Amino acid sequence: MSDNSTALVIDDEPQIRKLLRVLLEQEHYRTLESESGRHGLSEAALRRPDVVLLDLGLPDMDGLAVLERLRQWSQVPVLVLSVRDGPEDKVAALDAGADDYVTKPFEATELLARLRAIQRRVSGGGEAACFEAGHLVIDFNSHCVTVAGREVKLTATEYALLKLLAVNAGKVVTQKQLLREVWGPNAEEQSQYLRVYMMHLRKKIEIPTSPDRLLRTESGIGYRLVIPPTKP
Amino acid sequence: MVQGITEESVSVSKKPGRKAVLFNEYIIAIILTALVTAAAAVLEPVTGYFAIALLYLLLVVAVGMKLHRGPALLVAASSALVWNFFFIPTRFSLHIAKIEDLMIFAMFFIVAIAMGHLTSQLRLNEMAERNRQQRTAALYELVHEAGLAHDLDGGLRAAISLTDTLFGVRASLVLRLPDHSLAAETHPASSCSLDEKEYKVAAWAFSHRMPAGRFTDTFSDSRALHLPLEGGTAVMGVLSIRPAPQTTIGLAEKELLQTFAVLIGTILEKDDLLQGAKRAEIIEATERLERALLQSVSHELKTPLSVVGTGISALAKMVVPNEKSQATLHEIQQALRRLHRVINNLLNMTRIESGAVHPQLDWCDVGEIIEAAKDLAADVVASHRVEVDLDRSLPMVRIDQPLLEQCLSNLLLNAGSNSAAGSEIKLNARVADERLVISVRDEGKGVAEWELPHIFETFYRGAEARPGGTGLGLAIVDGFTRALGGSVAAANKRPHGAEFVITIPVETLRPDVMEKLA
Repeated sequence: MSDNSTALVIDDEPQIRKLLRVLLEQEHYRTLESESGRHGLSEAALRRPDVVLLDLGLPDMDGLAVLERLRQWSQVPVLVLSVRDGPEDKVAALDAGADDYVTKPFEATELLARLRAIQRRVSGGGEAACFEAGHLVIDFNSHCVTVAGREVKLTATEYALLKLLAVNAGKVVTQKQLLREVWGPNAEEQSQYLRVYMMHLRKKIEIPTSPDRLLRTESGIGYRLVIPPTKP
Repeated sequence: MVQGITEESVSVSKKPGRKAVLFNEYIIAIILTALVTAAAAVLEPVTGYFAIALLYLLLVVAVGMKLHRGPALLVAASSALVWNFFFIPTRFSLHIAKIEDLMIFAMFFIVAIAMGHLTSQLRLNEMAERNRQQRTAALYELVHEAGLAHDLDGGLRAAISLTDTLFGVRASLVLRLPDHSLAAETHPASSCSLDEKEYKVAAWAFSHRMPAGRFTDTFSDSRALHLPLEGGTAVMGVLSIRPAPQTTIGLAEKELLQTFAVLIGTILEKDDLLQGAKRAEIIEATERLERALLQSVSHELKTPLSVVGTGISALAKMVVPNEKSQATLHEIQQALRRLHRVINNLLNMTRIESGAVHPQLDWCDVGEIIEAAKDLAADVVASHRVEVDLDRSLPMVRIDQPLLEQCLSNLLLNAGSNSAAGSEIKLNARVADERLVISVRDEGKGVAEWELPHIFETFYRGAEARPGGTGLGLAIVDGFTRALGGSVAAANKRPHGAEFVITIPVETLRPDVMEKLA
């Protein structure tokens, strides 16, 4: 998928831009660079990149403002790359329309995995009839969920929750977003619902002895369904 | 303008009571009448008894100007009678022989009474006017001295000394504390102190927003009068007035004192609001500055780290993979992770010490937090057996998840680096009495007894600690648990190993209750 994608890196640190270019080009991305928010926005408009890597601490304007402006006319996947590691910073960026958030310093493999995850969502991952992650298989047509080949019974709410995480697999989904989409707009603050259902869901779909946990907690932010690397 | 008030003119309470004053005035009236009569007896043979009547009228006017209405009327009536008795023929009898004498006596009587009444009325009006002036001057002075003073303490001192001199009393102030309760001590500006009993009355006046103590209906056997300092919206404290024994406070004075109390209350409230606004501004500015500083330091430290990390990853794909290069890359990555951890620890410690840790409570599943903490410490405890013992009926708790997660991962890291690879780390979590108790136990050597009190100190490194580590991990656990309102303790366990226990008060929600809700 990354064979002919274009990535736009908006970061004011020349060293970061240079090395991200090397890293991305190794993965066959065409790479564009911007050192400021304004320039980044015009690049995004002119060159129509397939994915944007955005730093929050830009010299001319705040990264969040760049994100908001970008979201007014574009749905391009955005990965925020920042040294700000507070949960409130992450939630603010995700609420403003970022697809995922990686804190600096980052592990290259993790960064690339996140990039792939947010691009997959856009290129129509949600329309597939079937979802597979490690021992978990979801058939979206028949609402049938199997764990290691055995069918598990999920309640309607559990299924809705799992489906939302699966559609966004590899990408963090904020607590607010989960509550809003599964329980409705009035439940945004009712985090206790989410915790209880996640607890049940874990009991039903995780295999305690397996080293690959599918449902990961992002402290203070939300949850992520991780697709384990397929073993050869 | 302020000269009008002198101690002598306002302090009625210093004089003896009104009854005694009146009694004295009656005596003076009688003596004066007697003196004038004596003088008249000398003059009468020369002037005749009509002139004597004018002498008496003069006395009535003079007395009316200086004394109260009662003594003035007494002088008027008695001089008419005395004149009649001693001077009008027939002398030494109240009988009046001639009809014109009778007429003159009647007219004299009426004129004398009228004069006495009018002059004393005049005097009363003048006194009332003077009182009004003094009141205005006193209030003006209070506002001037106390309200416009540069510092509040100086202003209060001025207000107290003004009250003392104007009313001839001792006064004390008990102010409201920032938490809206009444201070236990009187303000240093006070000119007298309150004993326990008087303080209780003052506290009553404060909580009921009503005057209490002497000269009121509540606790009237107290020695002092306690007036609440009513500002515009709140009671800012109590003004306690202690007059000298045996003296009283008049109605007008009490009213003036109450006005004083309201004024002082308003001044205090204004100051309180100003201070509050200033404090909020300072706190906000400090927090903004600290945040900016932390952000830029964190940016400067983490950016080069990212550059190195990304560079290593990029290089890894360029070199031909062989055993040596892989091992070298692995070592570099380990070192980078360690450096990252140290930087995070330093930044967290700075946040703790500058009071910038503000827990955001939310419902959490403790099991989930423990799993996340294990992930964070994974590279160090990977070679250990981590046993998690969770109470099966563990309820949801309201806590700051990232803070607790950091505490637990630091404890796991500590346990991992202080015990041999392959040994067991036991993690136990339970909730009892609305407290979340999590213990982390390792099978290492434990902590030397003399070191136990110090291990949570910033930068403290155990004498037998392994190289690496900054002495910050446990200090951060201590700081974060404190921020969460809890505590952490360490102890040695038999046969060997150390146990760290975090105790945090939490709100809980049982999952079975939750299910009914959902």
